[in-house]
Amino acid sequence: MKGKDLINIGIFSAIYFVIVFIIAMLGMIPIFLPLLSVLVPIIGGIPFMLFLTKVRKFGMIWIMSIIMGILMLLTGMSWPPLAVSLFTGLIAELIYKSGNYKSAAKAVITNGVFSLWVAANYLPLFFAAEKYWASRQNFGQDYIDTVTKLMPTWMCPVTFIVAFLCGIIGGLIGRRLMKKHFEKAGIA
Amino acid sequence: MAGLFTADIENRGLVLDPRTKLIVMITLVVFALGGTGSDIETVRYGTTALSILPLIFLMTAKQYKKAAVFGSLYALIKSAEIFLVPHITGAVLSVIGLCCLIFVRLMPGLIMGAYMLSSTTVSEFIAAMHRMHIPQQITIPLSVMFRFFPTVLEEFAAINTAMKMRDIRIGGKNAGKFIEYRLVPLMVCSVNIGSELSAAALTRGLGTKVKRTNICKIGFHIQDIAVLLLTAALYMLWILGMIGVVK
Repeated sequence: MKGKDLINIGIFSAIYFVIVFIIAMLGMIPIFLPLLSVLVPIIGGIPFMLFLTKVRKFGMIWIMSIIMGILMLLTGMSWPPLAVSLFTGLIAELIYKSGNYKSAAKAVITNGVFSLWVAANYLPLFFAAEKYWASRQNFGQDYIDTVTKLMPTWMCPVTFIVAFLCGIIGGLIGRRLMKKHFEKAGIA
Repeated sequence: MAGLFTADIENRGLVLDPRTKLIVMITLVVFALGGTGSDIETVRYGTTALSILPLIFLMTAKQYKKAAVFGSLYALIKSAEIFLVPHITGAVLSVIGLCCLIFVRLMPGLIMGAYMLSSTTVSEFIAAMHRMHIPQQITIPLSVMFRFFPTVLEEFAAINTAMKMRDIRIGGKNAGKFIEYRLVPLMVCSVNIGSELSAAALTRGLGTKVKRTNICKIGFHIQDIAVLLLTAALYMLWILGMIGVVK
C-alpha cells in the first residue's frame, strides 16, 4: 500500500463520515434513531461503491472500516462499533478480494457486510440494559416492562440484518449511479 | 458546521494532552454509556459528576454558547429522568422514558467528542497517535480525513446552493433527484481534490518508510494529572463498590 492509497482511504472516509454525521443529526429525533441502520448503508453505499473501484491492494477496506470504528469511539458512541468493524471490515475485504477486486456482484455484497458496523452502534443500548434496570428498580415494574417492550432483545439481530440488506440496496444504487455518471467521466 | 471539525487553538485556555482526552472519553463511554457499576450508588453519583467534566472543558476553551446549550439540555433531561419518569405511566412513559434512557447515556460522550474535535489540532492528534504506536496505515488516512472535512463541507454547501437554484430540494419539484444530484458532484470534485492532495502529501514525505518528526510538543502536565486522577477515582470507587466497601 502506497501513500496515494492511504490518502484515498482518508478522502472517502471523510465523505462517508460526513454522510453518517448528517444522518446522525436526524437520529437526534428518537423516532429516526432506528432509521440510522437503513439510511447510512443506502446513502453511504454510493461513495463506497466509487471507493471500491479505487481499491487494488489488500487492507484498504479493512482500514476504512477500522477508521469508522475509531470515529465512533471519538464521537462518543462507545467501543462496540470498533470491535464489530474490526471483523466485518476484514470479512468485507476478503469477499471483495475473492473477486480479484473487480467483481461487481461481490462489490455489492461487500457494501452489505461493510455496513454492519452501523448496527453495532445500538449494541450498548441492548446489552447494558439489564444493569440499567437493576439500578432503577424503584421506578417500578411498569416502567421497566414498557421500555423493554420497545427495545426487545430480538431487535438486536434485526438491526444487523436490516443494515446488511440496506447495504445491498445501497450497493445496487451506487452501482447504477456509477454506470450513469462515473464510468462516462472516466473516474471509476 | 465547518467549525465543528476545525480546532480553534487561540482560544483554548487549558491545554490537555490528546491522550488525556481520549482516556476521559473512554471512561465516560464505560460508565455513562455502558452503565458500568450503575448498581452501586456512589459510582452513579461519580458518573454524573464526571459527566459534567466535559462541560467544564468547554468553558475553559471559551466555548460558552456550546457549553450552555449542552449543559441545559443535559440538566433538563437528567432532571426529567429523576423527577418526571417515576410519576408517569402508560404510553407517555414509554416515549419519554426511552428518550431519557438514550439521551442521558449518550450526552456525556457526545459533549466530550465535541470538545475533543474542537480543541485538538490534527498535528497534535497525529503526534499522540504516534506515541501510542498506532501504525502509519491508520494515522495517514485519519489525518487526511480531518484535513478533508472542512473541504467536503465547503464543497457540499456550494453544491447545495447550486441545486437549490435548480429547485432540486426537499419539497421542491425535483425532490427525487435530491441525493443523487448532491452526492455525485461532491464525489467528482472530491476525487479531483484528492489527487491534488496526494501530490501535496508526497512533498511532505507522507507514505515514506522513514520516521517522521513532529513539531508539536505533547506531554502530560499538571492539568492532565488532575484530570487523570479524577477518572482514576471513579474506577477506584467502582472497585471499592465491587468489594463492598462503599455502597
